[in-house]
Amino acid sequence: MPFLIPIALIMAAFFIGGFIWMTKKGQYDDLETPRHRMLLEDNIKVTITKEGEL
Amino acid sequence: MNPCIHCDQDVVTAYFSEDDRTEGPFCCRGCLTVYNVIHAKGLSEYYEIKKNVSFFKKRAPVEIKTAQYSFLDDKDFLKEYSYQSLNNERTMEFYLEGIHCLACLWIIEKLPEFIPGIRSSKLNMSRSVVSIVLKPEGKFSIVAHELENLGYHPHALKMNQDSQDFKTKEERSSLLRIGIAGAAAGNIMLYAVSLYAGAGPEYATYFNFLTVAFAIPVLTYSAFPFYRNSYIALKNKSLSIDVPISLALIMGGVMGVYNMFNGINENYFDSLSALVFLLLMSRYFLKAIQEMGLGTTDLHFFYQGESVLKVDEHDSERFLEIHPKFIQVNDLLKIAPMQIIPADATVVSGETYLNNSLLTGESELQKVGINADVYSGTMNMGSEIIIKVKKINKETRLGQILRSIENGWGHKSKIIDITNLISKYFVGIVFLLSVALFIWSYREGNTKHALEQALTLLIVTCPCALAIATPLTFIRTLSKSAQKGIIIKDDSVIEKLSRVKNVFIDKTGTITQNTLKISSFYVLQNSAVAPHDVIFNLERHSTHPLAVSLKNYIKPLPTKPLMVSDLKEVPGVGVSGIIDNHLYEIRNHSIFEDHKVICTFEAKDTIRLDAKEAIAQLRHHNVNIQILSGDKAEYVSAIAYEAGLEENEYQSGLSPENKSQIIKDSEHSLMIGDGANDAIALSYADTGIAVFGAMDISLRAADVYLSLPGLIPVAELITISKETMKVIYRNLVLSLFYNSISVVLAFTGYISPLTAAIIMPLSSLSVLISTLIGTKKLRILWK
Repeated sequence: MPFLIPIALIMAAFFIGGFIWMTKKGQYDDLETPRHRMLLEDNIKVTITKEGEL
Repeated sequence: MNPCIHCDQDVVTAYFSEDDRTEGPFCCRGCLTVYNVIHAKGLSEYYEIKKNVSFFKKRAPVEIKTAQYSFLDDKDFLKEYSYQSLNNERTMEFYLEGIHCLACLWIIEKLPEFIPGIRSSKLNMSRSVVSIVLKPEGKFSIVAHELENLGYHPHALKMNQDSQDFKTKEERSSLLRIGIAGAAAGNIMLYAVSLYAGAGPEYATYFNFLTVAFAIPVLTYSAFPFYRNSYIALKNKSLSIDVPISLALIMGGVMGVYNMFNGINENYFDSLSALVFLLLMSRYFLKAIQEMGLGTTDLHFFYQGESVLKVDEHDSERFLEIHPKFIQVNDLLKIAPMQIIPADATVVSGETYLNNSLLTGESELQKVGINADVYSGTMNMGSEIIIKVKKINKETRLGQILRSIENGWGHKSKIIDITNLISKYFVGIVFLLSVALFIWSYREGNTKHALEQALTLLIVTCPCALAIATPLTFIRTLSKSAQKGIIIKDDSVIEKLSRVKNVFIDKTGTITQNTLKISSFYVLQNSAVAPHDVIFNLERHSTHPLAVSLKNYIKPLPTKPLMVSDLKEVPGVGVSGIIDNHLYEIRNHSIFEDHKVICTFEAKDTIRLDAKEAIAQLRHHNVNIQILSGDKAEYVSAIAYEAGLEENEYQSGLSPENKSQIIKDSEHSLMIGDGANDAIALSYADTGIAVFGAMDISLRAADVYLSLPGLIPVAELITISKETMKVIYRNLVLSLFYNSISVVLAFTGYISPLTAAIIMPLSSLSVLISTLIGTKKLRILWK
C-alpha cells in the first residue's frame, strides 16, 4: 500500500509544523504555572457561584 | 503548637484573631493582618486551596511595610517600567516576594475581581513575576498597595528588557531543536527498522532516501549547538566532550550521504538522531534546573529598598515617594527607622544608629550625627534622619563591592570538569585507533573498505553515554538538593565541593542569628512598677535592637498598659518616662527608678541552634575550619568556643578585603557567609555558600544558596557532592566499557549500523540506571 507512507509523512509534517508554530507563539514559554492553573479551574467556578448567591 | 495558619512556620509566640480567638495561631502580626485582609475581601478559599497542596514550599512570615507606592504612577517611571498598548491599557511586571504555592496563584489571578481598574493579572510561578494589565482609569499604586496588603511584597520590573527577550528566544530555539530532533528520530526509526528487517529492493532505496531527508535538519539545525561549542573549544585550543560528538555527527552525515549516492542503503542516522535528541534533552533540563536558582539575577534593586522619600526641592515640608533608581546626587532623602540607606550620603539632620554589619560585619551599632558619612546598604536602626546624597549606584561603596564581585567571578579558579578532561584523551585515542584500523585494513588491499571501517570507528565510539549521563546525574542531584532547600547555581560546584579542603565561615548572621537576645536579667530591688511593665510601657514604640530584644524577653510574661507621661527616647542613650509619679529610665543595660538601679541585663547575639552540630559534621569530612569575622576578638572567641571550635580556628577584625585575600591564598576553599561584607570573599572562594536570610548581593556572589534556615545542609551538601562524583565516575567506567566493545567489534569487522543501533541505546540505558540507583548514602539522603 504505497499511499500509507505519504500519509505518514504528511502527518509528521503537520505535527512538526504545529509544534514550530506553537513554540514561536510562546505556548511553551512558561512551563510551570499552567500545570498549577489547570487544577484551579473548578475551584474558581465554585467561588463565583458562591459569590453570586451572596 | 500548630504552625502558623498563614505561612506554616513554627510559632514562637502565638497571635490570634481579635474578633474570634479560635482563629489561629499566627506567627506574627503581619500574617494575622494578611489573614484579616483576605477574609474581608471574601477570599477565604485561599486557605482551603492551601490545605491541599504539598507542604514543602513554606513561605516566610509576612512583614508589612508601609510604602505607599505613589511613585508607580509617576510619568517618568511609567515610561520606563510599563508598556502601553494601542487601546491605552498599560502593562507592568512585578516581582513578588512570598509566592509559594497554588493558593498564591489563585489569589493573584483573582485580583481583577476585587481591585477596580485591573484588566488582567497573570502570574508566572517559576519566576514569581506577575504581569498586570491596567485599564486606562486604573492605578498601579493601588495594585501594589493591595498586593502588599495580601502579604506579597511587590517590586516593579523593567519591561521589555533586551536580556529577557534574548533569553526567551534562546529558550524557544532550544525547544525547537529538541522537538525537531525528537520527531525526526522517531520517523527515522520507522524506516531504519524496516531496512534492518529487510525491506524489499523496491522500497529500500526509497526508505534510505527518507532517513537521509529526516536526518538533515537534525544534523544541521538541531545539532548546531554541538558544532558551535566545539568551535569555541577548538578556538581556545582546548577540547570538550562536544568535539568527539560533533566528529561522530559529521562523519556519520558524510558517510550516510556518500552511501546514498553510491546505492548502499546503510547509514547511522537512527542512532545519531536519537543521540542528538537525548543529548539536547539532558542539557535542556540541566539548564532549566540551574535557572531555578538563578532567579535572583533580576533582583539587583533589593539592596536599595523599593521606594524612598525625597524632600521636595520647592517645599521642604513635602516629601515625594520615588524609586531608588531616580535618586540623584545632592537630593535630600528622609530615611525612616528600619529602612536601608539607598546611596552614600552625609547626614543633614537627625541622629541615629546604623547597622553596618552588611558592609563591615561588625555587630555593634554605629552612632551617627550631623555631618557623618553614611553608606548605601546600611540600615537605620534608630530614629528618622535626613541625608544629602553624595554618591549613587556604581560610585557607592556598595557599588564598588558589586563590581569586585564581578571581577571575583572572573578570577574564580576554573576547574576542568571530568567529562572534558576525559574527552581530551578520548579524542586522541580514538583518532590513533582509527588511523591504526585504516592501516590494518589497507594492508588487505581494499582502500574503500579501509576508509569505511575507520569512519565507522569514529562514529560508534562517540562518548554519547557519558555525555548524557553526566548532565542526568547533575540534574538529579540539583533537583533533589533544591527539594531540601539547597539551591545550587551551577553543576561545576558539585565537583569543586567534592574536593573541598578549607572551610571558612563568617560569624555574624552565619554562625550567629544576628539578633540580640537577653542573656541575663537580674532584678536587684523591688520597685513600684514591675521591671517587665516598665519595659512594656516605655519601649512600646522603640525599634532599637536592644528594645526589641527586651520586648521579646518579656513577651511570655503578663503585662499591663499603664499611663506614661513625658516619654522620651534619646538615641544612643535610652528611654525615659514617668509612671505613677516615678521616673523610670532604661539605659546602659539597666533599668532605673528615680535614678536608682532596680534591674540590670545583658544582651548578646545568639549562636544558630544547629551551628555546633553542623561544625561537628563538617569535621567528619576532614577539612580545616576557620571563622573569618570583621568583629572584635572577644566576641568572636566566645562564639567560636560555643560552636565547638579551637583557639586557632578563628580570625577576627578582618576587613572584606582581608577576608578575600585569605581565601585567595588557600586552595579548594569553601566560604559560607551572608552579608555584603562577605560578598567579595564568596565570589573569590572556589565555592561560596550564602545562608538563609542572606542579602541579595551575597546571593549573587554565591554558588549555592540555602533557602531554609540552618547550617547542617552545608555538611550534607559536601556528602552529596562526594557521592554524586562517585556516580559520575561509575558512569564513566560503564561508558568506556561499551566504547571498548565497539572498538573491538570495529577491529574484528563485526560493526554495522545495526550493531551500533543496539550498543548505543544499551550503553545509554545502563548509565541511566546507574544514575537513578545512585549510591547507598545518596539513597538515604534523598529519602
